[in-house]
Amino acid sequence: MTEAERCAPEDSLSRAAAGESAAFTALVRKHQRLVYSLALRMLSDRHKAEDLAQDVFLQLHRNLVSIESDAHLSFWLRKVTINRAIDRLRREPKYEIVSLQESLALVSEVRDDDLLLQRLLRDLVGRLPPAPRAVVVLRYQEDLNPTEIARTLSMSINTVKSHLKRSLAILREQVGGADTAGPNPTAAKLDPSTGKQRSLT
Amino acid sequence: MSNNLDDQLRGALRSVDPDDGFSERVTSRIARHSRRSQWSAPSGFRWLSAAVVAAVVLGVLMAHDWQLRREQQGLDARKQLIEALRVTGEKLDLAYRVVNDDAHSAASENSGA
Repeated sequence: MTEAERCAPEDSLSRAAAGESAAFTALVRKHQRLVYSLALRMLSDRHKAEDLAQDVFLQLHRNLVSIESDAHLSFWLRKVTINRAIDRLRREPKYEIVSLQESLALVSEVRDDDLLLQRLLRDLVGRLPPAPRAVVVLRYQEDLNPTEIARTLSMSINTVKSHLKRSLAILREQVGGADTAGPNPTAAKLDPSTGKQRSLT
Repeated sequence: MSNNLDDQLRGALRSVDPDDGFSERVTSRIARHSRRSQWSAPSGFRWLSAAVVAAVVLGVLMAHDWQLRREQQGLDARKQLIEALRVTGEKLDLAYRVVNDDAHSAASENSGA
């Protein structure tokens, strides 16, 4: 651990704001897991997540003087990461279409292994629209309560609760369907024109 | 399963670390960005450069316009000179004819007498 990493968070923040590169590196090391994980769960792609996380820290470097405390820094990083991820998702083509066979193969294996269930859940969360996805990620990854999520995403608490309720219902339906019926074609929403599974809109 | 969904989601969405060397990649990107910013001119200097370029372009355009007007004035003057010479030529021709006719008729009268 370096000297910059050993000092108090506020001290490290003020030293980084004063231009001390070691202190800034310490800040990056301390918060990289938070930023990268949010980016990864939002974008479902390691390379895109790394790129977005670097962008966030670049923006932080330019805005260090506006950060007042360590708590403010965590709030700022969550907000900027999620907003950038949502912007990127809205710019990119809608949602990834996964073939029915691939999805059913995954579902059929779920009963055997919790790791596969978690993989399925990540896959399903990754197919939620950007705003509900952000709510679910902040709730279950960052363990934020609805009030904190509403503040981070600049939306009303009722909207947050509604997103959470609907997203959980969709996830429960998808995972429950898989769990009780195995490879059940009705558990997946099919696009009649292509025969492929659609995103969970 | 449904009762367990919260826990399963927490497990599925647990935090992960980026690849090794992430902070070094961030700091090197910031260093590259800072170097680029240093090389790019400050905004005051950029405005001054833009003003100088605009003044030079305006000056060239005004000089070109002045040159065109001078050429037009020269052409007009040339036309006026040609017109003046033509009128003078006509007058001289008329005077020559009058003088020549008078002299011719006087000579005819003298030879007749």
